[in-house]
Amino acid sequence: MIPADLRYHKEHEWVRLSGKQATVGISHFAQDALGDIVFLDLPKVGTSVKTGQQIGEVESTKTTSTIYTPVSGTIVQINADLKDQPEVVNADPYGKGWIVVIDLADPKEVDELMTAAQYDAFLASQKKG
Amino acid sequence: MPEQKHIAILGAGPGGYVAAIRAAQLGASVTVVERQALGGVCLNWGCIPSKTLLSIIELGDKLKKAESLGLMLSGLPQYDMPRMVARKNKVVAGLVKGIATLFKAWNIETVEGRGTLIDSRTIAVEGPDGVGRDVTADAVILATGSSWPQLAQFPVDGKQILTSKEALDLETAPARMVILGAGVEGCECATYFSGLGTAVTLVELQSKVLPLEDEDVSALMARELKKRGVEVKTGTTIRKVDRVVDDLSLSMADETTVEADVLLVSIGRGFNSQGIGLDRVGVALGRRGEVLVNERMETNVAGIYAIGDLVGQAMLAHVASAQGKVAVENILGHPAHIDYRVIPAGIFTLPEIGRVGLTERQARDQAEAAGQNPDQAVKVGRFRYAGIGKAQAVGDVTGIFKIVTDAETGKILGTHIVGAHAADLIHEAALAMQVGATASQVAGMIHAHPTLAEGFMEACEDVEGVAIHQAGRK
Repeated sequence: MIPADLRYHKEHEWVRLSGKQATVGISHFAQDALGDIVFLDLPKVGTSVKTGQQIGEVESTKTTSTIYTPVSGTIVQINADLKDQPEVVNADPYGKGWIVVIDLADPKEVDELMTAAQYDAFLASQKKG
Repeated sequence: MPEQKHIAILGAGPGGYVAAIRAAQLGASVTVVERQALGGVCLNWGCIPSKTLLSIIELGDKLKKAESLGLMLSGLPQYDMPRMVARKNKVVAGLVKGIATLFKAWNIETVEGRGTLIDSRTIAVEGPDGVGRDVTADAVILATGSSWPQLAQFPVDGKQILTSKEALDLETAPARMVILGAGVEGCECATYFSGLGTAVTLVELQSKVLPLEDEDVSALMARELKKRGVEVKTGTTIRKVDRVVDDLSLSMADETTVEADVLLVSIGRGFNSQGIGLDRVGVALGRRGEVLVNERMETNVAGIYAIGDLVGQAMLAHVASAQGKVAVENILGHPAHIDYRVIPAGIFTLPEIGRVGLTERQARDQAEAAGQNPDQAVKVGRFRYAGIGKAQAVGDVTGIFKIVTDAETGKILGTHIVGAHAADLIHEAALAMQVGATASQVAGMIHAHPTLAEGFMEACEDVEGVAIHQAGRK
């Protein structure tokens, strides 16, 4: 359930690099822990963001959790479909459930994020902890 | 038998009319002077009208979910605003008549007109027909309330620039509305108009909506308003209003511009302390224009008392009523003082809010000021509506119970509820605080199942991390 072509952040966001742009979403692990997602509060297009900064919130029937950006840059697109269908994040977290697209300030930042194998190990270590 | 005392009350809002009835119950003869309508702002233009209209939006919201509940409708619900407003007016008229009936039963005299103090025992009343009359009494209670916003930069014209007074009489929903001020009234109006289909932008100078509420409450309400389609702009204000034919163009302090059909001004209520002769008799005012009183509701002038919004304490109808009772009891020889420690209050957004006592931030600040470590001195318990069986059964799963306690004594310092029936549910917390009960005492009381009140029991349990229907969080 951890796609090999993506990079991962310790707050359970994923990043898909495409040229100078990165698509960001939350991982399968995150959506599963949250349970049924009922609402996403998304940032505005044009907002500039720095790594680790809060860019939104995701609310489920169990809890409300912060979405952090794993990379710096400018938000150039948000997934407007999630407004009416937030449950898509549960159903397809790595596909139709993407959250934002960020125009990267420094594409090299992506290299610092975890690989799929590292994220898998990270999850395993968290379970033990 | 002592001679009967005569009390004159200026203003028949929830402070004045309640004071009048209590005074009559205690044996006084009472004259009430009112220039507009019995019941004041609360009954005629505030609490009651807004709740009447919001209750219809609440029903409409529920009907929009009907299909998912298995209730099939032949179409979407439609709001008929002229009928809604007519019903609102009927509800108000009925309640105003109820006060008149109570006044009659207690032999309370009502004098219609504008009253002005001409000495410390006499109110000169100018009737609507221009005829004057003096009312002289043994004691006077000032209960003239507060006024609608009148800010020079936002001239209210009742058409493009409104206060909530005009807004609640609108018979068509504006396409675009900007509401200035995300306090209680601003958020309630945003809930109402977004429900009617208006595109609402809510502007608040502070960094969060409902800036006086607990942070969890503000955050949850901001999300709920966004879910309703309300555009929430915090940390900014309106710098300039330009009228372009039928449109308003609002320049914001953050350099953006918002176009609207209507601006609703929901900041800056004033005190009705001018033009009622207070300077003549020497009643002292505070910096904001409020009448200064002690805990017996006495002003600095012997025999003159003041209550309600006019004294600028907690500007709530039920506080005015409590102050009114205190004032008359003191006048009639039953010493009493006002106690502001436990004031439950409701905010009738969707979902609803109930609150009493300190916010978590206030409790932590208080602990810090007392030289304590707030992390150790303040303990918080939370429980979500989604974990309550009744909430799932009726489909109202959005909301939280939050309880703030003193770690050492276990006493409840404050409680904040967001969710269905929150303003009613808050009274269990208020009663617990009034009698000094601890969270564990409340948790130990059997709560009926299935009810929303179980959420308060679970939140009390969660203070010690032992809420039954919550996976281990601590």
